[in-house]
Amino acid sequence: MVKAYEQEHVYKHPWEIVTSASWRKFADPENKRTLSHILDVDTLNHKLDAESGKLYTTRAISIHAPGPWFVRKIVGQDICHCVESTVVDGQSRSMQLTTRNISLQKFIEVEERTRYYPHPDNPRGWTVCKQETSIRIKPLSTLASMAEKVEQRCAERFLQNSVKGREVMERICKYLESESRGITF
Amino acid sequence: MGIIGEKKPKSSSSSSSPSSASHCADLRAAYHNCFNKWYSEKFVKGQWQKEECVAEWQKYRACLSEHLKDKHLSRFLEAEGLDSTTGADPAGVADGAETNPSN
Repeated sequence: MVKAYEQEHVYKHPWEIVTSASWRKFADPENKRTLSHILDVDTLNHKLDAESGKLYTTRAISIHAPGPWFVRKIVGQDICHCVESTVVDGQSRSMQLTTRNISLQKFIEVEERTRYYPHPDNPRGWTVCKQETSIRIKPLSTLASMAEKVEQRCAERFLQNSVKGREVMERICKYLESESRGITF
Repeated sequence: MGIIGEKKPKSSSSSSSPSSASHCADLRAAYHNCFNKWYSEKFVKGQWQKEECVAEWQKYRACLSEHLKDKHLSRFLEAEGLDSTTGADPAGVADGAETNPSN
């Protein structure tokens, strides 16, 4: 059972601003209230290829588990850990993030791929965000009956959160732009 | 069902308290602030020849490895070490733990 969702959104901000906002999205205390499902973000590793201008980063993200109460009951925890791998190509101006869950893997695998790249019609001013989410429920017999429900809840949660995420992104973009326009540090 | 196979610390409280996360919070904030500034002021402008925030990173990374257990991060490292399907992480967290960027 695999479900896949695709979303596309155009930010009317340049790629440089949007990807800067993406890095700040979870860490900014200002956004903690909006993205309250995000508990903790740690950078585990990073590597800069100074020749090609590629930046590789791995972060650990802890979120409130998306499952309903019975899943938490079975699993015995309500925190879900995810790993996010990011590749930024400064030369071609692309950012690619892949997020996968580490916990609850026996039940469900969620993978979210996000790509930020300049909009072909306005490469200096706009940025496309393409997001693909795939949710795979493991076919355990005990879980088969509830799997459909869990899947639905996960999908709803993801869509809700991505809307919230966009609001946060817009806010940070505007902040960064006003900052770079006026009083730069 | 033997589903709860994860190694959990033998504390009774299941809701992990925020205290487990607070160990490296200051060092983390220092690193992330430095990184964010470097990213938006240098990296996106093509100035990626020089790695910055090295001192901040080393302090933060040292703290993380020290508190790996209480932050459940060892599981991340295991997962990253075993799974390379994304191709997005050539650095490999597990073996990259000690490879700090040179100045």
